Amino acid sequence: MTSIQDRDNSVMLGNGIKPKSEPLPIDLPDSAAQIWLYSGIFWMSVTMLIGVVEAIKLFYPEFLQGVPALAYGRLRPVHINVGLFGFMSMGYLGATFYMVPRLTQTPLFSERLGSLTAWFWNFNLLGGCMGILMGFSKGKEYTEIPFPFDMMIGLLVIAIAGNLFSTITLRQERRVYVSLWYILLAIIPFPIYYTLGNASKFSGIEDAIINWFYSHNLFGIWLTTLGLATLYYMVPKQVNKPLYSHIVSFVGFWTLAAFYPWNGGHHVIWGPVPMWVMTASVTASIAMFIPTCATMINFGGTAWGTWEIMKRDVSYRFSLLAYVCYVGASLWGTVLAVMSLNAMLHFTNMTIAHVHLGFLGFGVPGLIAFTYFYLERSLKLKYSQNLAEWHFWLTMLGIIGYVVSMGISGWIEGAAWEAGGSPQSTMVDRYPYHVARAVSGLIVLAGQFLFVWNVYKTVNYPVSLPTDSLDSLQKTGVTS
Amino acid sequence: MRYISVFPIVAILCILFGSAFTGLVIAPGVASDVVRAPSVGLVAYSPSEAKGRKIYAREGCVYCHSQQVRNVKADENLVAAFGVSKAGDYFYDLPHFLGTSRQGPDLSNEGRVWRREIGAPARDYLIGHFINPRQYNPNSIMPAFDYLSTQELSDLTDYIQSLGAWKDNVKVAAAGL
Ligand code: HEC
Ligand code: HEM
Ligand code: HEM
Repeated sequence: MTSIQDRDNSVMLGNGIKPKSEPLPIDLPDSAAQIWLYSGIFWMSVTMLIGVVEAIKLFYPEFLQGVPALAYGRLRPVHINVGLFGFMSMGYLGATFYMVPRLTQTPLFSERLGSLTAWFWNFNLLGGCMGILMGFSKGKEYTEIPFPFDMMIGLLVIAIAGNLFSTITLRQERRVYVSLWYILLAIIPFPIYYTLGNASKFSGIEDAIINWFYSHNLFGIWLTTLGLATLYYMVPKQVNKPLYSHIVSFVGFWTLAAFYPWNGGHHVIWGPVPMWVMTASVTASIAMFIPTCATMINFGGTAWGTWEIMKRDVSYRFSLLAYVCYVGASLWGTVLAVMSLNAMLHFTNMTIAHVHLGFLGFGVPGLIAFTYFYLERSLKLKYSQNLAEWHFWLTMLGIIGYVVSMGISGWIEGAAWEAGGSPQSTMVDRYPYHVARAVSGLIVLAGQFLFVWNVYKTVNYPVSLPTDSLDSLQKTGVTS
Repeated sequence: MRYISVFPIVAILCILFGSAFTGLVIAPGVASDVVRAPSVGLVAYSPSEAKGRKIYAREGCVYCHSQQVRNVKADENLVAAFGVSKAGDYFYDLPHFLGTSRQGPDLSNEGRVWRREIGAPARDYLIGHFINPRQYNPNSIMPAFDYLSTQELSDLTDYIQSLGAWKDNVKVAAAGL
């Protein structure tokens, strides 16, 4: 079975459409994708840096004390918003702007609009983060970015969605590959729940329910779907064989689309919300086991027997790391939604472990994999293999250190509270794990430094790959 | 013809998202008696308390302090001392500060710990603790809010002392009847 994503990806200007005489740089293929992608890498470094600073503040609170803008309570929302709207959104939109023209065999509806939205997004996010640092936070998790910067994000997504959606409707390739389904799910409902989450003026518990409805959709059907779309596109190309099963991806996609939007209430399990809100969300969270399994089977099946490629191709190894962490984070989330376990582990560092297995374990390696993939397969440039190896092992070590230390600490806290302890009484117990988390963060940051250096060198001092080497490498890599 | 395979996808996605929207956004609002009515005895925030609340939002206290007591084993001591939080307790809260993390203690009943009736010692403790938590608890990881002005510290303290305080008044009134 040949599938769409196996086709040559060089058809950038569309079948039969002649390029205009001299396209401006801003109209060249992939110019939008590049700006999004490189901005995503920039914000990824920023969010990691801030993460390390907060992590240090959580065991050594005097660190950088005295500057209001660098207080923990202001840095943390910036960490989150840069992570979600800077790194994850921008990076994966870069991948999306790369994938959509190839999957549709159609040039992007407007490269210029794509690039402009990217620059606007950057400045807008910068403004929003400055606002938070200066004390204008809206004060509710995931909606901290103050007006008018928050509404601007919504408008920009509408422009981006219009651009992508127009490309999809004008497409030359009629079949719709699974990555495109995920992209559709990401771009269609976003303006609705985003506006609801950021502009609504409900109070009390209604506010809380809507806050979590919005937030979970933000993680689930915006960031995760764009991430999965990228993996679905990239992995079959990296192993040079079609996806394991299109039926399984069909099941995985539709169950995910059906259950994820119901998950919001699992953030307030046992809280002062109506019982049926909890029950509905807990049921949907446990049902998320189905799409998680589908993803596990599909990528597992595709990756089966690819040891040779794994050993050789760092980019592919990052994809697999992202895949394993995605499945891990989702299974972990399902377990956290079990009401008896949530009673013990809610409010502890266990949530932090889950979050970072999702974002640091799945989001970061996924985008890194795409970047290396892009440099090698699309720009046909040779990046430093050595630095990339170091980068891989540092990142993996950091992720494991982070997740394990926070997981243990969360378990200790939960057990201590059930035995009559309190957050104050566990403060000393948490100390070593908070140190371990900060060290892990530093390790990740060191890897990130190598990564940025490597990308910078590769792009600015290009060494082309011998044209035939890629193809021959791909052929020998396939063992089955 | 060329839209044929995208249109059904979009339509089904809209239905799926719409059903969740109905269930989690519209339905709780319609069930107004549970979610939209204030608890008996709940008092609205005074102007200085409302200002304190804004500072609480601005300084990100919510990232370390929850404001809810759940009916579970891990909260046993809180339940015994203060009772379980109910939806109506949050009627005047905009935005909500339920919180997701307990790096520090739950604050939903802090106004019943450092009660207004105690007078100056309670205020002095709270303000001193904001300025330098480690003076009171050497292991504390709470940031020092020494950069807040005297007025801001006072408003913040008013807000903290209002948390849950009305519940005691309800009890007193009930006992007096
Ligand atoms: C980094 C996390 C963190 C942040 C941010 C934070 N706190 Fe705390 N808070 C703690 C910890 C830990 C304790 C328990 C140790 C102690 O008493 O200092 C605590 C204790 C408290 C107490 C109880 C004091 C007592 O002894 O009864 C109050 C009241 C309090 N915090 C209010 C605030 C307010 C108001 C803010 C925002 C301006 C805030 N906290 C921000 C971590 C934090
Ligand atoms: C170097 C790596 C990182 C370090 C050291 C780090 C550190 C931290 C710390 C200390 C917190 C606060 C935990 C608490 O409240 O107890 C946090 C929260 C958070 N981080 Fe990171 N982080 C890192 C990378 C990332 C990345 C790449 C993302 C991507 C989006 C991310 C997303 C988040 C989110 C969403 C939260 C909030 C979790 C919640 O509210 O439950 N982090 N991080
Ligand atoms: C099947 C999939 C998943 C389920 C069922 C699930 C479930 C949960 C649950 C129950 C919580 C609340 C924990 C608590 O506070 O006690 C939670 C928190 C969270 N999850 Fe997931 N999760 C899933 C996947 C993911 C993925 C893949 C990501 C990231 C890419 C993610 C990001 C988050 C974040 C950021 C929070 C913290 C919110 C906060 O407290 O600020 N989740 N998840």
